[in-house]
Amino acid sequence: MADKLTLRHIAKTFEVEGGRVPVLQPVFLDVAEGEFVTIVGPSGCGKSTLFNIVAGLLPPDPGGSLLVDGRPVATTLGRIAYMPQRDLLFPWRTVLDNAVIGLEIQGMPRREARRRALDVIGQFGLAEFGEYYPFALSGGMKQRVALLRTFLFESDIMLLDEPFGALDALTRSILQEWLAGVCSTYRRTILFITHDVEEAIFLGDRVVIMTARPGEVKLEVPVGLERPRGPALVTSEPFVALKKQILDAIRDESLRSFATQARAETPE
Amino acid sequence: MTLAGRRRRALVDAVVQVAALGGFVGAWELIVRLLGVPRSIVPAPSVIGAELLQIRGLIASWGAYTMTTALEGYALAVAGGVVLAIVLESSPALERGLFPFFVASQAVPIIAFSAVVILWLGNGPLSKVAIAFYLSFFPITVSAVKGLQSCDPAAVALLRTFGAGRAQVLWKLRMPVMLPFLFVAMRIATTTALIGAIVGEWFGDNRGIGTFILQALYAEDTVRLWCGIVSCAAMGIVFYGAVTLIERQFLWWPAPALD
Repeated sequence: MADKLTLRHIAKTFEVEGGRVPVLQPVFLDVAEGEFVTIVGPSGCGKSTLFNIVAGLLPPDPGGSLLVDGRPVATTLGRIAYMPQRDLLFPWRTVLDNAVIGLEIQGMPRREARRRALDVIGQFGLAEFGEYYPFALSGGMKQRVALLRTFLFESDIMLLDEPFGALDALTRSILQEWLAGVCSTYRRTILFITHDVEEAIFLGDRVVIMTARPGEVKLEVPVGLERPRGPALVTSEPFVALKKQILDAIRDESLRSFATQARAETPE
Repeated sequence: MTLAGRRRRALVDAVVQVAALGGFVGAWELIVRLLGVPRSIVPAPSVIGAELLQIRGLIASWGAYTMTTALEGYALAVAGGVVLAIVLESSPALERGLFPFFVASQAVPIIAFSAVVILWLGNGPLSKVAIAFYLSFFPITVSAVKGLQSCDPAAVALLRTFGAGRAQVLWKLRMPVMLPFLFVAMRIATTTALIGAIVGEWFGDNRGIGTFILQALYAEDTVRLWCGIVSCAAMGIVFYGAVTLIERQFLWWPAPALD
């Protein structure tokens, strides 16, 4: 399959008072069309900075470039569906109107945008909640609305930044299974950040492990597990073997990261 | 809460409020009568009421005059304040450069300024509109700027990733976030606009509730003075209540507590 998204020499150094803080070492990554790539790494490894660069919110250091469909792009703003950690639903908009805001900004009339949302809202388990306001929803439901908003935005590349990070374990595992199902229906190219190794293996076609700050790609592990994947998978032998391999790699990095942080607390 | 429960609570609230008001007026009447307080100090509510009934035509037309100038100044202040806030928000350099002057202009006591405004704009309604505007413009602009600036940077970033430009971010995010801040200032500004209209009349006019109060003062007519006070209070309460009703129409989501 052709590469949908390519990160070439993406690095970032922040200028702060009293010096320069390198946050990302050059990162190189190819993501194939329709591939689900999960990124794990110790906290503070620059995952979110990497995402902000890919989403177009931050420029990479000079020399780095982003390629979409093999062509360099000046900016990815308006081309990539980005889902930040928090749901960021607007309290004055209903579920439906929150979900279509990306389409609205793309210039689609609200009527048509709402019709599109209604076509798929059932698959997000929100069929009866279209006219609800966010304050009436549970955390898991809000996160599904945010996912619906990301899915509806017309883009075949999605960036999901720890979408289930703030949820309880049970809700999280239900949503993981559900997301795996939705993703196999709508074949999208997905980059997914998490610090949960099981989640990374369960969802990903490939797990990318990042080093401690300044972050770079330490290891890439293809996940050759069959889809659809069910809850029984996480206790199967190949899954556990993968988990051990990845955890060992991360453990080294976490220890390094911890040592660095203990020496000097620096902002990300 | 159920609809029936909400209705019952509204009814209870109304009963308590009417009782409180009745109790206050009743106590006032009673104290004045029992202690034989002279009319020149505080007249009994019944006396004020009777006088108000007698001169209701005058109070209505002069009250309408004052209310109109206050409303016009207020409307200009809201519109101008929001427009200026949008300009200031879009340019941090402009905000930093202009804001100190803006604050300084408000430190000038309105009394010193009002006399000049009357000289410039004459004895008619225009000068009162200007003073009412001047008094309510500042709090509205400051709150609107604060509101526009208080949206979540992550939400702005999200809209930008969807390809939103400045105008779309303003319209779809900053304006709704601003509304609760704006309404707090708009409620406060009802009072300042009314004060501007009334005080403006003291510097020169031949109509209005301010003029009415001034005439009663010169005539040492305490009952009429109190008629003026009661009319001002009524106008203030109605104005404030109307803005609160409008606020309820526009703010249907649970907003952060601001006041």
